[in-house]
Order: sequence, then C-alpha cells, then structure tokens
Amino acid sequence: MNISRVLIAAAALSAAAWCQNAVPLTPDGHPDLQGIWTSASVVPLERPVELKGKEFYTPQEAAENARKVLGISSWERLGVQAREHYNMSQYGLDLSQVKVASTLRTSLIIGPDGRIPPFTPEARQRLAERAARNRGHQFDGPENRPLQEQCLVYSTEGPPMLPAAYNSNLEIVQDAGHVAIVQEMIHSARVIPTDNSPHLPADIRQWSGDSRGHWEGATLVVDTTNFTARTSFRGSTENLHLTERFTRLDSGTILYEFTAEDPHTWTRPWTAQITLARIEGPLFEFACHEGNLGIANTLSAARAAEKAAAEAAPKGSK
Amino acid sequence: MIARVLGLLSIGAIASAQSPYQAPRTADGKPDLNGIWQVMNTANWNIEDHAASAGNLPQLGAIGAVPAGVGVVEGGPIPYLPEAAARRKENFAHRWTDDPEIKCYLPGVPRAAYLPYPFEIVQSRKTILFTYEYAGAVRIINMDSTKEAPIDSWMGWSNGHWEGDTLVIDVTGLNDKTWFDRAGNFHSDALHVVERYTPRGPGMLNYEARIEDPKTFSRPWKMSMILYRHQEPDARLLEFKCVEFVEELMYGHLRKKTGGKP
Repeated sequence: MNISRVLIAAAALSAAAWCQNAVPLTPDGHPDLQGIWTSASVVPLERPVELKGKEFYTPQEAAENARKVLGISSWERLGVQAREHYNMSQYGLDLSQVKVASTLRTSLIIGPDGRIPPFTPEARQRLAERAARNRGHQFDGPENRPLQEQCLVYSTEGPPMLPAAYNSNLEIVQDAGHVAIVQEMIHSARVIPTDNSPHLPADIRQWSGDSRGHWEGATLVVDTTNFTARTSFRGSTENLHLTERFTRLDSGTILYEFTAEDPHTWTRPWTAQITLARIEGPLFEFACHEGNLGIANTLSAARAAEKAAAEAAPKGSK
Repeated sequence: MIARVLGLLSIGAIASAQSPYQAPRTADGKPDLNGIWQVMNTANWNIEDHAASAGNLPQLGAIGAVPAGVGVVEGGPIPYLPEAAARRKENFAHRWTDDPEIKCYLPGVPRAAYLPYPFEIVQSRKTILFTYEYAGAVRIINMDSTKEAPIDSWMGWSNGHWEGDTLVIDVTGLNDKTWFDRAGNFHSDALHVVERYTPRGPGMLNYEARIEDPKTFSRPWKMSMILYRHQEPDARLLEFKCVEFVEELMYGHLRKKTGGKP
C-alpha cells in the first residue's frame, strides 16, 4: 500500500465529511432519509395578508422574522391565555428551544398566493351543513370532540405532515423496500412500500390513508389515497389525494413537499414545502389515549354545567 | 399429564433448535427480519396451558369463546411470589373488565409480540422499527446503544444487538400498567425483558422472552414461541386504531342524555 494513496483517500474522506452537501445513501443506493427530524417552522402554513405577492424574504428579512417568532413563547404566539395550561418552555418544547430549519419562504404554501385555494361551492355547502349539525352539540359525546382530543389522529401527523405547536418530531427508518415514518404524536408509523405497488382496494379506508412510494432519482415520491370520510384534512373529503416528495438536501435537512388535491373541496390543487431539520432525539412515547383525562373531564364538566343550568332555571320552563 | 409432558417437550424442542438454517441477509450481512410477522397460538388469551372455555357475553356465542392452547411458559408454572400469586387470582377474576387490552391501551412487551394482530419489522443497521397493527403501537430498537431508558413507558426502552444470527433486545423502562395476557398474568415496573429473535426456517422466527421482575417473581423465567411471516404478495399492516371502538365503554356514561327535551 502506497502512503500517498492512503493520504489521498483520507483527504477525500474528510472532504466528503466536511462537505455540507454530502447526501448519504442506503446500501441499495437510494438517498438515506434516516434519522430523527423536526418539522418545526417559523413561517405559517398560509401567507399573512400583508405579505401578499411576496413568496420569499430576503436573507435579512428571514433572519428578522425568525428572531421575532422565536423571541416570544408559544403560548403568546398561539394566543393561549393561560400559560399554566401549556407552559411548553418547562419541558423544552417551546419553538424557541427546538431546532428550526431556516427558510426564505414567507409561508409553507408555495406560489404567488401562498394560501389554501377557495372551497368549491359543493364544499362550502357541505362544511356549512356540518357546522350547523354540530352547533350546540360540541360536548354531547366523545365523537363530537376533535379527533386530536379523542387521541385518534393528531391534526398535524398527516399525511400530509405539518408542524405542530410542539413536538413536531418524526423518525425515518428505511429497509430495502420500505421507508417508514414514525410521528411522535400520536406514535403512528407509516410504512411506505417503495415498489409503487397498487393502493388498497377502495373499500378499505383508513384515517391515515394508504401510502405507496417510488424513487424518482434523489426524491422519494409518495402517493396517498383511501382516506376515511372523517379524516377531513382542512375540510377535505375521502377523495383527498396526496403526493408527497422527500429530498435530502444535505446531512442536516430534508425538503418535504406535499400537494393536496380534492376536486370536491378545493378549486385547484395546492402545494406546501417544509424543511425538516435533523435533531438528536430520542422520540418519546406519546401515550395519548392512555393518559386522556381531558376528554372525560370535558364531558363531565359539560354535564355538570347542564345540570347547574337546569337547576337555576325557573320551575315550569322545562 | 401426558399432554403436559408433550407440551414441555415441544417447547424444549423450539428452544434448543440451534438454527443450522441460513437466513437471507441484508446488505450489511445480518439476517433479514424485514416483513410482517404473527404468532399462531392463543398465548394472548393465557400464556399458560388452558382448556377452551365460555366467553363473557352470552350473545356472542362461539365468537366470544376462549380457544384452548398449550402454554408458552418454559418449565412449569410462572414462579409468582406469594402476594403476586394472590393478585394474579384477583386479576383473573376481574379479567373481563381489567385487562388493559379492553381499553385499547398500548400492549407492552412481550405481549405485543403475541397479540392476535400482525406486526412489521423495518430493519436498518442503526435502528430497527417494530410497528404493531394493534393500537398503532411502535417500538424503536436502538442498535449498539447503551443509553438507559429516560423514563418509564408502556412500550419500554429497547436496546438491541446481534448475537450471531439472533437479534437480542434488552427492554427496560416498562411501566406496571400492562398485562401479559387476557388471563391476568402481570408484572411490576421492575420488569426487565430480554427478547431473542432467531431465524428458524424460511418465514419463521424463534421468539423467546426472558422475564425478570424481582418484585413479582421468585426467579427469572422464559416464554418461547414461533413467529410466522405473512406470505401474501401485498401483505401489509392495516389500521386498527381501536380508541374509536372503546369510547362508548369508557365515556358512554358521560354522554348527553337525549331522552328529554333539550
């Protein structure tokens, strides 16, 4: 073995390790998306009205926005009044305490509008009817509470995956024929076959749909259908069709993009881009249902309030 | 008695099978455990020997009945400490209300392995994912990590390593809220499980779980069984988000009564 060859090899290795754009590959030659990631973001899903027409910040503006967003705690940002209720900084969950990928985008939704397209007339009517049906019945029973409160599906776990108010953590594990995505909240694992196999039969509907993937060069493309009618991503129906794209940009980031289409809901498909940042982890167990005192307390409080109101009402008014 | 001896013999045969079988390999040369696995036994009803018996709801008839099964516990009865043996009896008496599976709670380890639902292994070099159809339970196996459990949890903290062709998983940080089966066999939060997954033949794994819990048992003991790989070309885990199916049971009494005038 020639010493200069060893030196050259060592130099090449360290150069590769140093290079920020080194995208690792799995043994079967596909981009290695594995690791623990966060989708935490300093920009909202929809573009604020005052930034209409402005898709990107300048680097200085982006830095200023990040400073502004990270300078206040989540309970202020979310407009939650009682900091005792959700003081996320206590557990290191606050956005200002977690890693956030930098971005020049002014909203996660791409394009000149940066907003979810208008509902179709059919969707407007459907959603108005649903709201009318629910009005006054929000506390009738467990099924009247939001899915997240029931610990059935977390509103941001996806697909499509969105930043949550806290714990926007996910882990990706790959074998030769699958990419698996584990969301910390609510411990769901989506095992995506990458052989582009056909979807489940149409009669099998799932809260998280049915995801099938394939590789397009350096990008994992995932197609998801078979949602339940009750999944309702931002008003969607069971006809929701999602296309997700995962591209590892460098050792520390993945560009995640999704396109949502449902002709029964939106006047056109729409696309959002989220930069996932690599974090140390670990993921913790989010035993939501097992610790769900909230839903029982909410319902029993509603029953107590009804009882108190009935007792306070003048006799005969029943 | 004879059946019992035969049962012991067959379990002994499972445990001593020193797999001469050469399992397919992953790119890094380890046995390829990828796929969807499930037991073909009734251990989830009772990990010990049990005859068939009636269920709890007469209207379910044969559907609700308990099928018989040879136990998966090696070497005789589970060595409960006296107090724990009394608690196990209590559990059995209240099994139709107290089994955490009834409430769709996370199953813990080792029970997750022999639930009557499939689970999937996604095997990588540094991390192996175990994902279970029941309740969407998930375990992340840290390979070559000696990190300790940061906190107790339902599915515990899993550190794995390879011993020859065997995937050995050391599971700690388990809480005391799960049972081993529907018959009230239980453990404390001192539970320490060592699982061993060994290829046995095409589409088969020997599964062994060593149970150590000095608060509950007088000595460590083992259970062993076989896991079978689903062979259907498009076999995959489907959703079983059972929370939805237990809401009436758990919260029905808090529902608004619709009988009277609103």
